Order: sequence, then structure tokens, then C-alpha cells
Amino acid sequence: MAEPHDDTAHNETVREFADSFFYGSRSNLDMKFLRDLNPTEVGDFFDGLLRHLATTLDDGASDRLVDHVIEWQRHAYTAHLDGKASFSYDDVPRATLGTPLSQARVALVTSSGHFVNGDDPQPLGVADMSQEEAERRVGEFLREAPTLSAIPIDTPPSDLRVRHGGYPVAAAASDHNVNLPLDALRSLEREGVIGAVHHTARSFVGATSQLRLREGVAPEWADIQRAEQVDAVLLVPV
Amino acid sequence: MSVGHVQRAFESAGIPTVGVYVSAFGHVPAQMGVARALITPNPMGRPMGAPGDAERHLAVVRHALSLLERDGDQVIETFPEPYRTHPSPSA
Repeated sequence: MAEPHDDTAHNETVREFADSFFYGSRSNLDMKFLRDLNPTEVGDFFDGLLRHLATTLDDGASDRLVDHVIEWQRHAYTAHLDGKASFSYDDVPRATLGTPLSQARVALVTSSGHFVNGDDPQPLGVADMSQEEAERRVGEFLREAPTLSAIPIDTPPSDLRVRHGGYPVAAAASDHNVNLPLDALRSLEREGVIGAVHHTARSFVGATSQLRLREGVAPEWADIQRAEQVDAVLLVPV
Repeated sequence: MSVGHVQRAFESAGIPTVGVYVSAFGHVPAQMGVARALITPNPMGRPMGAPGDAERHLAVVRHALSLLERDGDQVIETFPEPYRTHPSPSA
């Protein structure tokens, strides 16, 4: 438990408190959405959370707490969009699947930040960067072009690593399938729902320069997929 | 946003795609003009479901890939089941 509050210290405002969860003194990537709420909404979030927690003290059911956080994450990122959308397009580029799905070779590309042990993309020129450093330097990631890591689909889970300064990676570290769904794809291949899982999945850190990605990197990645003759790609943002 | 740009680039290169987005970013597919998207009511970072919920991961991927065979300029659907942290015993 924290030390008793020092009343002579700076009285933190609700705004400062909420912002502290966004790469601040209370950095918490599951709760960083608090920065996008106004002070009244911050109060409503914590009021609701504590009320649900009081009920959970009696019945032990935690789903209401989970649902509360999910709903406020959604609200925070969607309720105040006016003027914030930096990239918006009116057209919809669309290709057609040229073969039945049951015969299609399906590739997987995710922005999860996974890579294979021994093949660290060394972001910002740093070997073996920690998750903590990735979070601390996320602003630098946002100015750099992303690196695409190749992940052979038969990679043992124990050889997978994940690092990403933009989202909470604990779930992905405990089970890569939450955003690198190799097991599900292999199951669908066995069922015959898809023809085959492409031999190499790929992952990058989605916290990256959007302009560099759009103008140069993403078209290059498309060339890779075409050269490898995949029929379709499952894409997984985090 | 990043995957939206990748999705547009792949489609422009003739490669059909489908993206799986969590509800916090459920506005992104329409905003960015991606061809196909499945939106899951999951917390950020877990678009397929909770760790260990293989049954749900499979259901989400199955649903997402089915959109590849759907007609329409833009196909955006929402996964019908709520997020769960307790996989069913049969999972």
C-alpha cells in the first residue's frame, strides 16, 4: 500500500490523475484510455468501477468489472472522435478471392509485436529492448518505419517473444493466440475450411509512423505476399 | 490505424484481406475504408479472445475468414458473443 498522502504536496487534479495512466507515473496500457475521457467521465468510470467492485465483494463474480473496462475503453476511443481522425478515406480498395476458401493459402499478419527468439528486430537500434523501454520510448517508435518479423508457423511457443510499447502485452505473452492466432488457423486447415496456412506468419509493432508505413513499407509487404503466392491474408490489429 | 493502411495496400495489390478489430477501434474499418472487418467485443490487445480460450479464438477466426467469400464493397460485421474470461469446460 502507498504511503499516506502528504497534504502539503501538490494537489493532483482529475486531469493530471487520468493522464498519469498514459505513459505517466501510473502508466498502465490497459487503462491508458483514461487520458481520452473528460474529468466528468473519469469520475463516472471510477464510480461505476467501485460500485461493481462492491457487488463483486459479495458474489465474487468478476465479469461485470471486465465488461465495465471494455465498455469504457470503447467509449474513450470512439466518443470524442470529432476532428481527431488523422487518416480517413472515402474509397475502399477491394480484391476478390480467386479461389474457394477451402483451397486458399491464407497468411497471417499482425501488429502484435511478436518475433522469434534469436531474430530480434532491434527497434531503434537497441538489442534485446525490454517491454518497459519500448513503452518509455513509444514516441520514438511513432516516428520510425516498422520492421516486419517473419514467424515460421511451426515455431514452438516457447521461442516466441512479444514487445510493443502501445498495448498491454501480458495476455499475448501468456498465449500468443490472443492476437497471433496460429492454433486456430491450423485447426481450420485440418478441418478443410481453408486450403493451407501460409508457412510464414508476420508481425510488426503497430505503434509506428503511419506515413512511412503507408507510402513505402505496406506496399513492399504486399509485394512479399504476392511473391509468396498467398491467396488471402488475415490481419490482426491490437 | 496501422493495420488499416496495410489492409488497403494489400487489397490494392490484389490480395484479399480481412481484419479483426477490437470494439475500441471498431470505428477504424469504416473510417479507413478497409474491405472486410470483424469487430470483436474484446479488450485492447486481445482481438481473438482471452488467453487460453482456444474455442473462442477458433470461432473468431472462422467468422473472420468467412467474410472473404462475402459479396459487397465493404463488409463489416460484429462478432455476436461477448468477451469471456472463463472458457467453457469443453474448450
